[in-house]
Amino acid sequence: MNSFVAVLRKDLMLEVRGGQSTVALGALSLLVLVVLVFAFNPGGGEQGAEAAAGALWVALVFSGMLGATRAVSAENENGCIRALLMSPLDRAALYAAKLAAAFIFMTVAEAASIILMVLFFNLEFDARVMRLVPAVLLGALGFAALATLLAGISSRLRGGDLVLPLLAVPMFVPALIAGVKASASALGGAPFGELAVWLKVLVAFDVMFVAAGYLLFEHVAGEE
Amino acid sequence: MNDRAVRLGLGLVTLALMLVALYMVFVYVPTEADQGIVQRIFYFHVPCAWVAFASFALVAIAGIFYLWLGQQVWDDLGYAAAETGMVFCTLVLVTGSIWAKPIWGAWWTWDSRLTTTLILWLLYGGYLMLRAMAGDSEQGARFGAVVGIVAAIDVPIVIVSVRLWRTIHPAVLVTRQGGHGLEDPRMVATLLVSLAAFTALFIWILCLRFVTLRMHTRLGALARTLALAEAAAHD
Amino acid sequence: MTAALIEARSLGKSFGPTPVLRDVNLSVGAGRGAAVIGANGAGKSTLIRLLAGLSAPTLGAALLFGEPARSLRPASRRRVGLLSHQSFVYPNLTARENLEFYATLYGVEDARAVATEWLERVALGAAAEARVRGFSRGMEQRLALARAMLARPDVLLLDEPFAALDADGAALAAALVGETMARGCAVLASAHSAGAFEEMGFAVLILSRGRLVRVEPPVARQSAARPPLARQVS
Repeated sequence: MNSFVAVLRKDLMLEVRGGQSTVALGALSLLVLVVLVFAFNPGGGEQGAEAAAGALWVALVFSGMLGATRAVSAENENGCIRALLMSPLDRAALYAAKLAAAFIFMTVAEAASIILMVLFFNLEFDARVMRLVPAVLLGALGFAALATLLAGISSRLRGGDLVLPLLAVPMFVPALIAGVKASASALGGAPFGELAVWLKVLVAFDVMFVAAGYLLFEHVAGEE
Repeated sequence: MNDRAVRLGLGLVTLALMLVALYMVFVYVPTEADQGIVQRIFYFHVPCAWVAFASFALVAIAGIFYLWLGQQVWDDLGYAAAETGMVFCTLVLVTGSIWAKPIWGAWWTWDSRLTTTLILWLLYGGYLMLRAMAGDSEQGARFGAVVGIVAAIDVPIVIVSVRLWRTIHPAVLVTRQGGHGLEDPRMVATLLVSLAAFTALFIWILCLRFVTLRMHTRLGALARTLALAEAAAHD
Repeated sequence: MTAALIEARSLGKSFGPTPVLRDVNLSVGAGRGAAVIGANGAGKSTLIRLLAGLSAPTLGAALLFGEPARSLRPASRRRVGLLSHQSFVYPNLTARENLEFYATLYGVEDARAVATEWLERVALGAAAEARVRGFSRGMEQRLALARAMLARPDVLLLDEPFAALDADGAALAAALVGETMARGCAVLASAHSAGAFEEMGFAVLILSRGRLVRVEPPVARQSAARPPLARQVS
């Protein structure tokens, strides 16, 4: 537990010291949302809500990939990853710390995205927006779990930055479907009950991928 | 075990089953009332789908054994299964498309089964690209095993979520009914024979590919031994 | 005969078909030192990496404490220190933060005090609160050395330890290494030339094209208590 806290704390310290990850993620989310506004030219009402939900999740996926890549490749400077692997640090604890860091970065970026989404898609800051927060948090956790594991692979390969989106996107589809549906319902004013089935899918997704990452990360992190 | 004899045997069995299946699909089975002749594609489409999904499970199982036991043979099996499965997965999408066009007038429908197969196809593609990028190394084998396992546990949840997506929100185009509701026993028989034929085809191709990969592994080991002997001779 | 802490048995490594290390046999016991000397490309770094467990052998075995280096138990990993070409320190953290972080990972009691102690020992006391990004190569190397040694390892692997150090830094490093050996640590180092190591009483192993071609036992030390080099530092 000590090691997990130490690694996470170190990552957060590095971030605060000018890691610029949260800024980069926020900027990327902003740009994605801008592009999608021009792409969909949404009106108000239900169509606007659906477009807004979709845009939010597109931003989540793109910023998530960046976040996970950065959280993992922060260890490549000066070869620190090797030092971590040689230390008594449990591989699973390393995964948990990287996952937590990626999740925190993503959450900050998501908060910014939600605000921007409300502004760009002409929505209101009301209970409907609050109701999509659980879906977004669950989605961010699931994506962080998935992407951290895959980033462990892609950061080791030359030209590997193609591998991460190539694998992460199809794998994320179930959570993406559930997340967009839940968000669109929430923004459309649906009561919490309607969101329940989608949230259950998200929870199942999260449980499976956090467990899988936890068990498999050691095979990814070992040196050649 | 005589590799050649096994491969030849499998090949002959496959050929026999395929000939029977082709006869049944094109001659024996009656034309379906609603969809006409095009419906016969169903007898290719479904077996390919079964093979594609089964192959994917095989990739994951091989991956688990590779990570557990560390023996290269498991990785060779997994890689062979991925390549072979990819071919059949592509066939599912192509036959699905050919089937869709005359029936619904569109080259693609987002119905739950085709969508799930598309995701599977993307996962296969990702796996193969990863292996290509990682090259011929132990690292590539390990990464492949991890991805194979994670992707395989993803598939059930993809199936569930896509089905929910398609039922709770009505499909834009008509949902395909095919697959069940085969009234005529001749249709059932044809489907079963076709399943057997395509499974045999899959196993035969898988074996061919697997044997090739095994040879490649052995060649690598020989090259290493040779290089060591050469270096020793120069000392 | 003491059990070897560092051991290579018929160790071989090939990248694809190309052999980089061939049939390497060595063993280093507690309190002993061995220096692997060779030209660039002889395989020194690969040997260190195999012994550190960062890479898997193609043939033979690399052992630390009798266990395969690749799959050490966490309790054993705590007892190994590595100094490599890469410094393993985070540029955006201060020297102190780096040492405290690694001290925590290695389960060192009172990480803060230990970090302070080692910063003094490698003459970085003044730069303790400065970010590593601004350090000179020599300073970074000294910090890396402190990082490798602060958990009081029983095995120390040093890949060209004197490379980035000036005369003072080198003397400091030699003194610290001599000190760990005196308390029972086994040390394996790699370098281009044997001079400094011979003075420290190391056995010298010549590595050429992946093979150990010559082994020279350690020169008998004049004084067992104080390594010769320490006399020059004061």
